Amino acid sequence: MPVPEKLLPAQLFNRCDPGSFEFGTTAELDGATEIAGQQRALEAIRLGMGIRHDGFNLFALGPSGTGKESTVRQFLNAIAPGRARPDDWCYVYNFSKPRNPKALRLPPGMACRLSDDMDHLVETLFSVMPAAFSSEEYQAREKDIGESLLEKQSSAIETLETDAREHSISLIRTPGGFAFAPVIEEKVIAPDDYMAMKKEERDKIEKEIDRLRNSLQSIMAQFPKWQRETAEKIKELNREVSAFTLKPLMEEIRTRYKDIEEVSRYIDEVEKDMIENFGQFLEKDAPEDGPIMMPPPFSPAGRKRSVVRYRVNVMIDNGKLDGAPVILEDKPATQNLVGDIEHAAQMGTLITDFTLIKPGALHRANGGYLILDARRLLLEPFAWEALKKALRTRQIRIESLAQLYSLVSTISLEPEPIPLDLKVVLLGERRLYYMLSQYDPDFNELFKIAADFENDMERNPETHLAYAHLVGSIAVRDKLLPFDRGAVARIVEHGSRMAGDATRLSSNLQAVRDLVHEAEYHAAQNGRTQVSAEDVEAMREAQRYRASRIQERMRDAMMRGMILIDTASEQVGQINGLSVYSLGEQSFGSPSRITARVRLGKGEVIDIEREVEMGGPIHSKGVMILSGFLGSRYAAEQPLSLSATLVFEQSYGGVEGDSASSTELYALLSAISGIPIRQCLAVTGSVNQHGQVQAIGGVNEKIEGFFDLCSERGLDGRHGVLIPASNVRNLMLRQDIVKAVESGLFSIWPVTHIDEGIEILTGVPAGEADASGAWPVGTVNAKVFERLKAMAEKLKAFAEKKNGEPEK
Amino acid sequence: MSSTMKNRIIQSIAVAIDCSPHSKASLEAAAEMAARLKAELIGIFVEDINLLRVAGLPFAEEVRLYSATTTKLDVGELERLLRQQAKQARELLQRTAEARTLRHTFRVLRGMVPEQLMQGAPEADILVLGRSGRSPSCRKGLGSTARTALSECKMNVMLMRPGVTASEGPLLLLYDGTEAAKRALSTALEIAGPTSTLHLLVTEADLDAIERCKEVTAAIVSGRAIETEYYHLPFRDSRQLVSFIRMIDSGLVVIGEGMNLPPETLRELIDDIDYPVLLVR
Repeated sequence: MPVPEKLLPAQLFNRCDPGSFEFGTTAELDGATEIAGQQRALEAIRLGMGIRHDGFNLFALGPSGTGKESTVRQFLNAIAPGRARPDDWCYVYNFSKPRNPKALRLPPGMACRLSDDMDHLVETLFSVMPAAFSSEEYQAREKDIGESLLEKQSSAIETLETDAREHSISLIRTPGGFAFAPVIEEKVIAPDDYMAMKKEERDKIEKEIDRLRNSLQSIMAQFPKWQRETAEKIKELNREVSAFTLKPLMEEIRTRYKDIEEVSRYIDEVEKDMIENFGQFLEKDAPEDGPIMMPPPFSPAGRKRSVVRYRVNVMIDNGKLDGAPVILEDKPATQNLVGDIEHAAQMGTLITDFTLIKPGALHRANGGYLILDARRLLLEPFAWEALKKALRTRQIRIESLAQLYSLVSTISLEPEPIPLDLKVVLLGERRLYYMLSQYDPDFNELFKIAADFENDMERNPETHLAYAHLVGSIAVRDKLLPFDRGAVARIVEHGSRMAGDATRLSSNLQAVRDLVHEAEYHAAQNGRTQVSAEDVEAMREAQRYRASRIQERMRDAMMRGMILIDTASEQVGQINGLSVYSLGEQSFGSPSRITARVRLGKGEVIDIEREVEMGGPIHSKGVMILSGFLGSRYAAEQPLSLSATLVFEQSYGGVEGDSASSTELYALLSAISGIPIRQCLAVTGSVNQHGQVQAIGGVNEKIEGFFDLCSERGLDGRHGVLIPASNVRNLMLRQDIVKAVESGLFSIWPVTHIDEGIEILTGVPAGEADASGAWPVGTVNAKVFERLKAMAEKLKAFAEKKNGEPEK
Repeated sequence: MSSTMKNRIIQSIAVAIDCSPHSKASLEAAAEMAARLKAELIGIFVEDINLLRVAGLPFAEEVRLYSATTTKLDVGELERLLRQQAKQARELLQRTAEARTLRHTFRVLRGMVPEQLMQGAPEADILVLGRSGRSPSCRKGLGSTARTALSECKMNVMLMRPGVTASEGPLLLLYDGTEAAKRALSTALEIAGPTSTLHLLVTEADLDAIERCKEVTAAIVSGRAIETEYYHLPFRDSRQLVSFIRMIDSGLVVIGEGMNLPPETLRELIDDIDYPVLLVR
């Protein structure tokens, strides 16, 4: 198998030519950002927002920073003005069921007008009603009614008194009521004189008194009825007067809202209630709690508790809205979503009324669009359930959480639910979407459309320009210096590096934004008027430096021999693997020594990492694959009679991933064949059972990690790295490496098969099996085969001896 | 000062107290007057002998006011109630008098109410009582006690009703040039407060009557600043007088006994008008 050519410098880095841009600096661009490379997501958004049907809400998923929010907002802000303005909503007092405030729907802008009209009406009544009731005519009529009762009562009693007097009996007022007694000349007969009277006379008197007493009782029994009648008469008079006063004022309001049936009905109820309770308008500003009690500084009732019920609590005023609302709720707590019923402390108790109902984001977004961050939503207690309930039932029902979970026990309200019609857009990471979709049965019902945002986009002249526009718009928006095209080209290149692919660009707008800010800082520090390529480089260098503490300490340890990494000699069963360390946002590569030892055994390849449970499952899988390769290739016809141990030397943390499996295989082949491996090379790549080398991640970091160590020890042209050929398109290496390759000091080989790699590593050809399956003499494969064969025979001999067979 | 004090018509004021709204108004008016005239206040509470007698009768039963049920009247219980009422009356008097630092005495008498009131304080110059007391019917006119006092009492009688002050407000005087009218004028001027307006209703048919009245008034007033209004009203019919008095809407009506008015006119007048009345003798 021929050894592959070293990679050319041009293959190591996909340069972005500043000359391909037509602008000089980003200041020449219009500052508009286009959403680039997110066609799939945009298509989904368009569909989700277009279908006006239940459950077609949207989940925009993708890593943070990919511009989900800005994309969705930009899209919604573009379509919202074209849609109908939703109606206003307000809560009013429910005269028949005070616990259930009534929700009123009004055309946009009318709710505030109704509220003002009602306030004005109440204000007017405070002056009009007292005037009506203090008029002479009313006073006279009221007095008349009162006096007619008195007259009726006294004339009834006077008649009785006259009757009594005719029989020489007087009606006498006692402390508790009335009594009858016989009199002579106004004086009651003394008891002794009475007893001295004849019995017949006494009987006559007593009989008479009995009769009178009965009459008196029947007269008095009528008093309550008369009083009731009088009260009724006065009430009727009051009703008449207040209705007359109210009528013109109410008519004025009624004509204004005559087209809205619900409001007309409400106004009728208000009128009826005002007539019944005219008294509240008579005493203006009278403190109801008495003069000593402090009026609470915040009284939900305001001036007078009773007239609060004529207020209109405007929940949503869409009067000034242009089209449908687009609402982004930053804190999607339950009460911020579905609204809340607040309480006010008054004299140590909590009270509430319908004016304390507060709207939530669902109210504000009703008829339009609501954007929420999924993670924040899920973190808020009960918010997710509340949102789902609202979407499922298509109505907003405000419930006090405290009430619901019995945290407080005060009088509370159950406002009438408001019908809900809106599109919800949730923004979140993919993981959240998949988890919700798997575990929450409601989720797929309610969020039928997923807008999957790409992590990266294809790299082509259009996306280059999109990047330039992005940089330009950030510069304009955040008032930064303009970027020249060289700087933009550097940023495009870095976008590729972030994407980990020379042919793609990262979609992480947040990262680009940070980059732009940092680069501009460097330019400003250097007193430049525009940001140039050097500033971007300086920024990158500074970033690297800031993140390099651990990396440098590790390299230092290697330089001092604390960590043993050989980059010069040749060794059997020892090789330089490459691993990537990820620390937060930063990751870097570093070489590690992998060694293999073999001995006679029963065909097991022992992965020490796995044995001590420091290796992850993927790593173990890689080791098992390589032992599969080994067995099938070299020991198809005989038992694999070796026992091999593989280890990552000086690794004190865990090892995960299969990117070292080809490396381990090379070490094993070297150990079996006894052919030394050049330590000036490092290897990365996973391997399959056929010996093909497969792609791995973090190739740039790995190469850079090894290069840094070699370059510190001094490059002499022998150093290099073997990478899987399929990773070549991922290469976006640092300029110093590109230069080193250019000058022949460093090499990178793209490898597709183990046989290619082992030849580069040992300088000995791998050898190809002939038709009979024999390997050419002197090749690596032949040596491996022979050694394994010898081991198998040796093992066989051992086994026979052990079984007691006589030695031949 | 002392000479003017001695020349006063009213040195001592008797007031009937039974704790009814009318009697409270009477006490208030009497105390007000006493304070201005530096007069003594004599409170009189009469335990109604009629009531005690009723209770003593074997068949005596009380019809309760608010339930129309009947209960047996008991002398002991009634006595206790009367004592309690007397105590309340005494306390009321004390409170009212002490607030104005008045000389005061309190008397509890037993007998027929009108008689006892008239005899209870023979030294008093004026007897103040309510237009109606705790009379059985809720009538509008005069109570029996007031009626008796008007017709039989030897001293000046003032009949009060709640809601109207006696002397702080305006006064209205019927004047016809007779001695009785002049006495009434002097008394009215004496009890009139510093801000009171005196309305003089001249009933003489004579056209010069007003002028003469003015002269007499000026002589009695003798420099004291008091606002006076004169009206010529040559009628003798009570109804016309009543409607005119109502029109003026003054407070206390002062009438001299022995004026040239028929007694029935006078009675009807006092019966019909809803204002406090002072009958000067």
